[in-house]
Amino acid sequence: MNVLLGSLLVYLVGALTIIWPKKLELTAHYAGMLCAVAASGMTAFSGIAYLIMPKSALLIDASWGSYSLIADGWSGVFVSITGIAGFFISIYALDYAKGYLGKRIRALTGLWNLFLLSITAVLLAGDAFTFIVAWEIMALVSFLLVNHEAGNKDTVAAAYQYMVMTHLGTAAILIAFYLLGSHSASFSFADMMHNNLDGIMRHIAFLCAFAGFALKSGLMPLHIWLPNAHPAAPSHVSALMSGVMLKVALYGFGRFVFQFIGMDVFWYGLLVMLVGLVSAFLAVLYGTMEVDMKRILAYSSVENMGIIFAAFGCGMVLMSMNLAPLAVVAFTAAMVHAFSHSLMKGLMFMSAGAVMHAVGSKNIEKMGGLIKKMPYTAFFTLIGAMALSSMPFTSGLIGEWLVLQSFITLAQQAGTPELRLLVIFAFIMLGLTGAAALGCFVRLYGIAFLGRPRSHIVENAHEQPFFMLLGMGIAAFLVVAAGVVPDPVVNVMQSVVAGPLSTPMGGAFGIIWGGSGHYAVYSPVLILALAILLGIFIAAIFIGTTRGFVRRDVTWNCGTYPTSRQQYTATGFSKPLRRAFGTILNPQRHTEYLRKDHDYYGRKMKFYLEIPDLFTEKLYKPVQTWMIASSSAFRHIQEGSVSLYIGYTMLAMIFVLIWGVL
Amino acid sequence: MGYILEGLALNIVQALVLLAFAPLLAGIISKVKARLQKRQGASVLQEYFDLRKWWRKPVILTPYTSSIFILAPIVYFMTSFLAAAMVPGFLAGQLTISDAFVFVYILALGRFFMSLSSMDAATAFGGMGGAREIYISVLVEPAVMLAILINSLRYHTTTLSGMVIDYDGAYFTVSAALACVAFFLVILAENCRLPVDNPDTHLELTMIHEGMTLEYSGPLLALIHLGSMLKMMVFLTLFGALYLPLSVPLAVKILCCAVLIGVVEILNNKMRLFKVRVYMGAAIVLLLLAIIAE
Repeated sequence: MNVLLGSLLVYLVGALTIIWPKKLELTAHYAGMLCAVAASGMTAFSGIAYLIMPKSALLIDASWGSYSLIADGWSGVFVSITGIAGFFISIYALDYAKGYLGKRIRALTGLWNLFLLSITAVLLAGDAFTFIVAWEIMALVSFLLVNHEAGNKDTVAAAYQYMVMTHLGTAAILIAFYLLGSHSASFSFADMMHNNLDGIMRHIAFLCAFAGFALKSGLMPLHIWLPNAHPAAPSHVSALMSGVMLKVALYGFGRFVFQFIGMDVFWYGLLVMLVGLVSAFLAVLYGTMEVDMKRILAYSSVENMGIIFAAFGCGMVLMSMNLAPLAVVAFTAAMVHAFSHSLMKGLMFMSAGAVMHAVGSKNIEKMGGLIKKMPYTAFFTLIGAMALSSMPFTSGLIGEWLVLQSFITLAQQAGTPELRLLVIFAFIMLGLTGAAALGCFVRLYGIAFLGRPRSHIVENAHEQPFFMLLGMGIAAFLVVAAGVVPDPVVNVMQSVVAGPLSTPMGGAFGIIWGGSGHYAVYSPVLILALAILLGIFIAAIFIGTTRGFVRRDVTWNCGTYPTSRQQYTATGFSKPLRRAFGTILNPQRHTEYLRKDHDYYGRKMKFYLEIPDLFTEKLYKPVQTWMIASSSAFRHIQEGSVSLYIGYTMLAMIFVLIWGVL
Repeated sequence: MGYILEGLALNIVQALVLLAFAPLLAGIISKVKARLQKRQGASVLQEYFDLRKWWRKPVILTPYTSSIFILAPIVYFMTSFLAAAMVPGFLAGQLTISDAFVFVYILALGRFFMSLSSMDAATAFGGMGGAREIYISVLVEPAVMLAILINSLRYHTTTLSGMVIDYDGAYFTVSAALACVAFFLVILAENCRLPVDNPDTHLELTMIHEGMTLEYSGPLLALIHLGSMLKMMVFLTLFGALYLPLSVPLAVKILCCAVLIGVVEILNNKMRLFKVRVYMGAAIVLLLLAIIAE
């Protein structure tokens, strides 16, 4: 029995939760979630087994009529990512989704299985039809999951916005498939590889594919649905959407670029790289301004997808310069970062869910001091926050380091001043993004978990149940493990991209990269060993020589007791950046006086800050205004009068007759 | 295996050497400033005395703090030490851990924990310091990345020990001179010196780094100060070894830089926080020109 095919069946069984009797709601939930845990475990197992031993026939090669499922190394990587992330998020959801008891939990769990099933099916699709069908199921199921809390007006708005945007993306992908398929023997991927599309039509196919997949992965300016949809969904769904679904777009784009369209045109890679870099920087800037925990994470997803696509674009540029052995580093970087992002973003959305569960709010301005109420969650979140700021000893830096190395590789090859300027731009953007991401997560963690409670909702916070902690713990462990011993991950990813072209990258103690005449080593194990030694040394001296007594006393506050309102707020914390990048962010401050007895005292006022999204304001709103204006202009010819319609028919007939005569 | 351990031993020895002289360097800068202000000034060894004093005092913690507050100074010192292990300094030979990007992110780890701790004591000043530190670091980071890029283009490596200025070749170029000036600006910003930050003030509205450390006392404060001084030493060593195109011994270069920093601090006022943009913009433009000229 094929393990992967089996896992798809288990998902289907899990999906039956939807039609279980309502009385057995909790049992249904457990049964369904356990199916998801088992099935994603099986998926991860067969994916990883395939990657380690490609000869073993663990993956599928099956077809039913015009539908077929096959697997190769490229899909194997993403199947493994889906399996691993699905596994720990499903464990987490065993307890987390219990919060939806009595709120259509059966639908939630059943759709969860379908969601995982459709993602896996997209990755295994062997022809355009299967791909599009699975892709659409994935879009619909995720729409239903985002819309789960349909009582909330914002949720419904976010869900429908997601629906519209994702269908625009599907339309673009359909066009790309049509163009490719009509220039090859059939719509199966094996045949589409040998398409004879060229010239302007090939450019159009590339642009459509890029637009469609960029939309799904939330690159700017097509990102506007993402910061709304991800926070609206239940947290385990957000974790899967951010951690895995965005990577599915990378999978699709990679398949198009590697197999169907090719990379010999310079501006293909250039476009991908620039869009990625700009998205990364702008997204992290917007994320730093947010106070909604899940919106911060959603923007951070855009940022990380931006970095992944930038590295991917860098690889495409190197390919167009006929430097395949060097492009391998860039593609490896993109995939390692994709893998590590699926772990760390899964982890962070799970902890956002845990925090929401504990305090009942997503607004970090109301939190504070959570580390004392929920120490385990706080510990796991710290690891996630460190990973997303690309700190050493987490998987975050592995991806980031490889991305930086791939851009250095490009720089070494950049002979012309134009290319040099491009590389300089890339490094400025990556530097800004890296530092701002650090600020973003220091702010998130510091405001939510440290300091004193900022409102009374924190008082009732409590540590989370076992399975939620277990799910987060597995993710945190993987983040650290992949960060300290990166070689296996890096080598697997590299062998998938490169095959015979490979340049040595994994070493005994970390990643060693020596190509294009430049040389680099990153050995986290050694650095960690040194750090631990040093830590023990400091502790020993500390205990040995100091009197080692600690006193607790209130902070000096100019003679008054400090209150929790005197702490820095999240909005205040991001103020310097808001001001420095004010020309991009364009913050709108609104002050309302509720009471104003006197100029200097007795005032009561309300202040709020609004940061309009640049693209919504400058791109989407004008288009929307134009569309509404033009449709109201057209309304005059469709006013519902029957005689007018008969007139139109007659005019049309006359026109057709004249046409026929000509 | 043998060469790895040998390189690692080099790393550690070098870090210890830099650590031993770091307070002396800080003392020299203070002395230079004092003499230029026509003051006698404290002894150049004063920093060692201060460290010993703090080390003997008890730790006083605000009741709101968590374990992050105690962890942060240790991590901060540790990152400075690891950074010191990575720079190519007085000892010849290939260091085992010496990657430039890892160097940058190791220092970022220290910044991560210090900024977190600034919010842990639940005071306004801490958060203010943390917010400004983040703001400055966002502006400094692109310049640091470009500074790495230029040397990596020249020497075809991202390993710091491979980037040491090559005296045999033509090292005094336009590009090297521009990068040298730009990196000096980066050092001032990265180490919280005038005109970006004022290390001497405890006035709440002007301070950045000091704001974050306001609630620390005793050995924890000593660790933070030692970490900062070591970081200064690390950056000057890096400057001397990688960016200063003069063929004199490294110790002399570092000493000259220390005097230069003292002079610069006397001649400048702290600039407004939002003027730092322009300052770092200048550094970035210089590096850009340097890369084009390379």
